[in-house]
Order: sequence, then structure tokens, then C-alpha cells
Amino acid sequence: MSELTMGLMYGAATLVVMFSGMPIAFALGVVAVSFMYFFMPSSSLDTVTQNVYEEMASITLLSIPLFILKGAAIGKSPAGKDLYSAIHTWMHKVPGGLGIANVFACALFAAMAGSSPATCSAIGSAGIPEMRRRGYSPGFAAGIIAAGGTLGILLPPSITMILYAVAAEQSLGRLFLAGIGPGVLLVGLFSGYAVYRARKEYRMAHAAFLNDGTTSAYLEVEHFTLAQKVEMLPRVLPFIVLLLGVMIALYGGYATPSETAGLGALLALVLIAIVYGIWKPRDLTPILSSTIKESSMLLLIIGMSLLYSYVMSYLHISQSAAQWVVAMALSKWVLLAVILLMVVVFGFFLPPVSIILMTAPIILPPLKAAGFDLIWFGVVMTVVMEMGLIHPPVGLNIFVIKNIAPDIPLKDVIWGVMPFVGLMFVAVILLCIFPGIATSLPEMLMGAK
Amino acid sequence: MSHGFDIGPAKGPAVPDNPVVAKLSRALDAFNHGLLMFSMAALILTALVLTYSVVSRYFFKLPTDWQDEASVFMLVGVTFFCCAYVQSLRGHIGIEALAPLLSPRVNAARMMFVDVLSLLFCLFFSWKSWTLFHEAFVEGQTTSSTFAPPLWIPYGMMAFGMSLLVLQIAMQVLVRVTNDRSAP
Amino acid sequence: QSAAIKISHQFPGGTATEGDFRDRLCRQFAAEVEKRTKGGLKFEIYPGSSLMKTNAQFSSMRKGALDMSLVPLSYAGGEMPEVNIGLMPGLVTSYEQGYGWKNAEVGRELNRLLLEKGIVVVSWIWQAGGVASRTIPIVEPEDAKGLKIRGGSREMDLILKAAGAAVVSLPSNEIYAAMQTGAMDAALTSSTSLISFRLEEVSKSLTTGRGKAYWFMFEPLMMSKAVFDKLTKEQQAIIMAVGGEMEALARKSAQMDDSLVAAVYQKAGAKVVDLSDATVKKWQAIARTTAWKDYAERNANCANLLKLAEKTL
Ligand code: NA
Ligand code: NA
Repeated sequence: MSELTMGLMYGAATLVVMFSGMPIAFALGVVAVSFMYFFMPSSSLDTVTQNVYEEMASITLLSIPLFILKGAAIGKSPAGKDLYSAIHTWMHKVPGGLGIANVFACALFAAMAGSSPATCSAIGSAGIPEMRRRGYSPGFAAGIIAAGGTLGILLPPSITMILYAVAAEQSLGRLFLAGIGPGVLLVGLFSGYAVYRARKEYRMAHAAFLNDGTTSAYLEVEHFTLAQKVEMLPRVLPFIVLLLGVMIALYGGYATPSETAGLGALLALVLIAIVYGIWKPRDLTPILSSTIKESSMLLLIIGMSLLYSYVMSYLHISQSAAQWVVAMALSKWVLLAVILLMVVVFGFFLPPVSIILMTAPIILPPLKAAGFDLIWFGVVMTVVMEMGLIHPPVGLNIFVIKNIAPDIPLKDVIWGVMPFVGLMFVAVILLCIFPGIATSLPEMLMGAK
Repeated sequence: MSHGFDIGPAKGPAVPDNPVVAKLSRALDAFNHGLLMFSMAALILTALVLTYSVVSRYFFKLPTDWQDEASVFMLVGVTFFCCAYVQSLRGHIGIEALAPLLSPRVNAARMMFVDVLSLLFCLFFSWKSWTLFHEAFVEGQTTSSTFAPPLWIPYGMMAFGMSLLVLQIAMQVLVRVTNDRSAP
Repeated sequence: QSAAIKISHQFPGGTATEGDFRDRLCRQFAAEVEKRTKGGLKFEIYPGSSLMKTNAQFSSMRKGALDMSLVPLSYAGGEMPEVNIGLMPGLVTSYEQGYGWKNAEVGRELNRLLLEKGIVVVSWIWQAGGVASRTIPIVEPEDAKGLKIRGGSREMDLILKAAGAAVVSLPSNEIYAAMQTGAMDAALTSSTSLISFRLEEVSKSLTTGRGKAYWFMFEPLMMSKAVFDKLTKEQQAIIMAVGGEMEALARKSAQMDDSLVAAVYQKAGAKVVDLSDATVKKWQAIARTTAWKDYAERNANCANLLKLAEKTL
């Protein structure tokens, strides 16, 4: 049987089993083990569990639960809401300031949490009701949070970047740094759009008022005294401590990336214990159980994906696919476009973790051969996967929004996120024209590559 | 589709209709809960261990060479000990995009198929984990590091956790089979 | 379903004439065997751990799930303590001595033990290594005192500890970053890896493995016995013959890398130092009471292998 036929069969089997609704981890395992049984020596079946263990027994991968714990400690305590309120108090005077405050709060939270849904729910549960109370249209409010939440996988720490660093054999520290520039760029683009849209909605509300006296919350003036503003400042302090503490530990040479994960998680727990008095087992249980739930689910997918890519490699499917891509002799940028398009299509249905694990063996060799900087590509791919998090049909963040604000119609949410998908696309283009947006920070701090 | 980050309080599984199955299911839930508590402690302990290794290296000039592997073992334990708990909440995410398009009958058949196939896979995986555990135990295999802890520990945790997952899925299949179909 | 023999390794992939010599060796081996068996045996090379994780290779070969692999033997030390002899500090101090093992008692005994575990050694490959440091060159044992060093194996860690170093463990893809930030001061590894990790960009000095060294690693090309036994006698003979011929290429390339690494670091402005006979003896003395002793106490086979190896010193 030719490798092409085998590859098509493998792909078809994967589609069928995945779309049956079987949990991704088991689906990957079932497809891999059945192909092992039919097309590989029977001894391969004896090595299944050891291979899965070897994949998981990497301290880099196992720092994922600790990054999740750090995010959950902030997100499931009042810390997330306080961060949001403090930024709001200071920014509300700026036109569209509330929108900007939400983007900033998402970014700051993202810089502490490793995943996107965590960021979305932590900031959105306070942010969406507040924006709607102030007259923002529901779709716009949902869009800001869904898009802001995607920064969780771009700003360090990031679970998907950990997986990418392992697959591409790149330094995690360097990759984390490379995400900061594009993260700031996206924050700028999102904020700019928020101002534009808020002013447009304000003008419409104003016109409606002049026309027929319809009032809107947009037209009310909110005021905070200086004392109120100053009082909010200390609430941001724990975040600054956490952010700086972890950065200094990692980039100051005090800790390895995995040690930093442990340090960050512990620091977050200590901070919520001191600031919010959350330390009793009963208070910690929701934080820890949600961490374990997400970690166990993710790590099982990671472990089983090894079997999946092992079979793909053994049957020469990934190599043939990669050779096929190379043989097309596409120009460098067409190759990139094709690969990113593939990531977008995967993003229709799969979460970023699975996209990286399933595509890395196929897409990385041609990209490397074409001379792309794999750190830079890791960042570009992450931004593209961010688009997948908010675009239909399966956008994880849209589901989170539906949970926070069930009364916003799905149609409004989808129309609300679309402009942000466009902005991310702009960011990808900018990254291609000016790769320095991603690469200059790691080069500055860690030397040229 | 679950997104892996629960927003509200975690909802437990629905109570099965058949009283015997309900009793068994409660027992399994209680056991999973115990392991969850244990894993929570292990998670915090891992954070402590990794922090300790930084502190001891910089302030006391005492490097540790066991922290990475101790952490790996604990986190492997957490992952496998709790995968049955996660399954009890249906927390292992899958693509549910087709569910809204199918009739309730077809959906019921689909979910049954998914559970039975998952069960078979996990059964195979736990069988192979126990053989791996046995091999490592008999041969006295260790990791190849300086610390060199025995490999039967993580293999055993993997085998135990996957077996528990098998029980959990079997329980869910049993609940599907015994549940009163006329009930809404 | 392909009947090709699969060779897996963890090193960067290239072609038969360019790139990491360990990958080149696999490719040349494959081409030559293919030629001599007139296409009866075909090969597929999987570089960069693209088939399976590095640590799973040995065990998969034992079970017959992997056909061939070129891997540092000591990686399997957890599964088979005897193989730690393949990276024993100071036990091999020159290429002559290392390559002499194949036909010495120690080599025959190691071969026998590996066969028992289902592994056939096809090519005997030895490689020297050195130390890249972001501070002073680590030459004498005293130089290591108080520095954070990655030994990379249990045995190297033991002598570094005895020399007063703070041993750090971290995955190999983090070595560069850790040297950059200062989380680590120095790393011991093979000359080829010292080049491919690009550590010269973050190092101030290099201790080479040119001439004499206490860091010698055995990384043979191996085959699963289950797979080997299924071949015809003629095919077996060709595989062993070509494997033996590849040893010359391995030796020449490894020694070229020992010199190349020095040139690369020199060009980057690092201080390059070679080891003297007397210095190697000092490290050997430390190893004798730490790593060697620790190894011999594992089991009778280990003690015996060590005794036989010492005869080649
Ligand atoms: Na993040
Ligand atoms: Na999507």
C-alpha cells in the first residue's frame, strides 16, 4: 500500500473517530493502536505504554499543571476582579477607556495564566456585565473579552508554547520572550479598535437621544474621586510582584523554566493567602480541583498524541507529507501561507494543544528547510491559533463567553469577535513584514540566535 | 463541548436510576474524591519542591538533583490518579460539533459507541501498563539519572489510574444500559 | 506497510555527505548494505527522534519494535545498569583505547550481555567530549568548585560533585538558555553536541577532548536481535561487515569534530584549553573512588566489566 493511501486512510479514520465525539485523548489512542494492530509488527503494541510515559515524563511538559495552577489561583479568587476594577478606575475617562481597560486586564492576566479560556473567564465575568451596564453593545463586549482572552497563549507563560518548544526543540525561555512583542502589538490593535467602536456606538447613542430622547448608559458620566483611584492601586500590586518575581527568577538566571513554574504557582498561592485570606483547604479546593481537571485532560491528550504521531512516523506518513510539501518547491512565503491555512482549518475544530501535537511532525521539517526561524514561526503559529480560539464553529473562547453571559445570542457573539479575527490577521501580516516584532526582544535579552 | 475550565461549581454526575448501580457509582465517586484530595496535596508539594530547589541552590549553595524527577513522578501520579475523576465529570474534551445535528436516538447510539470504544482502548492501555509495571519491577529498572528512582513507581501509578478509568467508563456504560429509558 | 529496516537516532538529520556525522554514518551504512544486498535490504532513517523518544529506543529494540538505533548506550542505564560503562569518566582516555574494546575481553563481555538482552552491536563508535563554560575553563578538578555544572549522566555528576561542583539537571534544549541567563555555568557533552548546541555564543572558555580526555562516550549502532535473527546468514554477514567498516568513518569524524569545536570556540573568542595527561589522571583518580566504585557495586556483571575495562588502561 502506498504511503499516500495509508495517509489518507489515517486521516479519514481520525476524522471519523474525532467527530464521533470521542474524547480527543482516547480518539488519538484508538486510531493509533488500530493502525499499529493492522499495519505494524505486533511488537509495537508492547511498547505503547512506555512510549506514552516517555512522552509525558518531561519536566518541561509537566510544568503545565503548575502554570495552570498559577492562573487558577488568580482567576478563581477575587484577584482577577480587583485587577479589572483597578484598571477601570484609572482608565474610564479615556474615550472607549472601559474597552481598553478590559483589553489591558486580559493582557495582564494572560501574562500570569497559561491558557486562553482561563483568561477569558477570569476577566469576562466582571468585564462583560460592566461593559454592558455602561451601554456597550453585547456583541462588542463579548468580542473584547473573547479576543483579549486569546492573549493567554501568546503572552508568557503559555501552554501551547511549551508544547511547541518541545516539538521544535527550541528554547522555551526564548520563545516566551518572543511572544511579548506581538502580544503588545495585539493589545494596541485591540485597544485602537475598542476606542473606534466605542466612539461610534457613543455617537449613535447620542444621535438617538437627540432624535427621540432614547437614553443610553453611554451618555451617563461616571466619576471616581482621586481617593477612590488611589485606594485601588494596592490591588494591582500583587500582580506586579508575581509578574516581576517570575520574570526575574527566569531571566535573571535563578531558576530553570520548570522551576519557575513551581515558583510562580507557589507565589500566586501565597499572594492570595496574604491579600485575600484564601488558604484554608476549603477555599483552595475549587482552585486545585479545576487545575487538576484541566491538567489531567491536557496531559492525557499530550501523552496519547505521541502514539498518534509515532504511528504517523512509522508508516512514513509524516515524512512523505513533509517531502511532498518540499517537493512542491513552493516559494518560501507560499509555503508559509499554505501551512498557516492548514493551521486555520485545524483551528475550526481542534484546540491549540491538539493542533500543535498533530501538525508539528509534518510542518516543522519543511519550514526548517525553507529557512524560517522556528522561534518566529512559533509566535506566528500561536497568533493564528488564537484566531481559531474565537472563530466558529468550535471556538473555545466563544463557549466560555456563552457560559459567562448566556443571554447574549450566539449570532451577536460571532459578529462581535469577527473584527478581532481581522485584527489578528493584520498582526500576522505585520509579523511577516517586520519579524523583529517577535525576535528583537529575545535577541536583545538573550543574544543573537 | 467542554472547554476544560469550569466556570460554575463542578456538577457531579447525575444519579443513576437503578439503585444498585447508584450505590456502586457513589462508591466509585467517593474513591475518586479521595484520590483528588491526595492529588491536590501532591500538586502543592510539587510547587514547594521546585521552589525549594531554587532557594537551596541560591541561598544555601546546596544544589538538588532530585527535584525534576520527584516532580515528574508526582505530576504523572496526579494526571493518572485523576483521569477517572475527570471522566466522571465528562471532562475529557471531544468534538461535539455533530451532536446538535443528530436525532436523540442517533445521539444515544453515538454516545454508547463512544463509551464502549473508549472503554476498550483504556482496557488495552491498562493491561499494557501493568505488563510494563511488572517488567520494571522484576528487572529493577530505574531512570538513568543520578537520583535513579525505580520506574515501577510511575508505571504503577499509570497502570492504577488507567484501571480506575476503565472502571469509571464501565460504570458510565452500565448507567446508560440500566437507566430508565422512558424517563426524560 | 514497509519492509524497510528502520534506523532511529536523536541527532540532527542531514545527507550522506553533510551534517552530523552520526546521521551521515547511518545513511552511508544504509546505502552500502542496500548496495551489497542488491536491494534485498532497504532502510529508512529517522533522525532527530522523529520516530520515537530517545529513551524509548533501547527498550523498543529489545522488544523488536524498533530495528536499529544509534544511541549513547548509557542512556539505557536505568534499564540495564551494566551499560553505564559506556560513559564512565576516565575509564577510556583515548580513541585508541576505546576502539580497542571491540576485540578485547571487555568488549566481548559487553557484547555477550547485550546479546542476552536482545541487542546486537553493529558498529563500535566512541566519541570524546569537553566542557563549555561561561566563566573560567574547567580543567583541573579544583576549577569546578562552586560552579553550577550539568554533567548529563549519573557518573559524570558523581565526579563533579566530588570535585565540589553544584550539579544541575535540566533538559538539553534548555542548556543554551540556562548558560545565557547564568542558571548554569558549564556543561559537559560531546564535541559534536558542543557545536550543534551553539554554546560558543554564550561561553567564555572551552576544555576540549582533543588528544587526551576523561569524557568518552560509547554510542554504537545497534540492531534488535529479534530482527537480526530473521535475516539470512548472508545478510547478517553484510550488516556486520559494513558496520565494522563504518567505524573508521566514525573515528575520523569524531576526531575532526574534536578539532572543529576548538576552532569554532576560538573564533567566537572563547579561551580554548586542552587536557594534559596529568590532569586526566587527576579526574580519573576522583572517578575511581566515586563513579567507578558506585558502578562496581551495582552487581557482579558491572564489577566484572569494570575489571576487564581497567585492563585496557
Ligand atoms: Na499566558
Ligand atoms: Na475555532
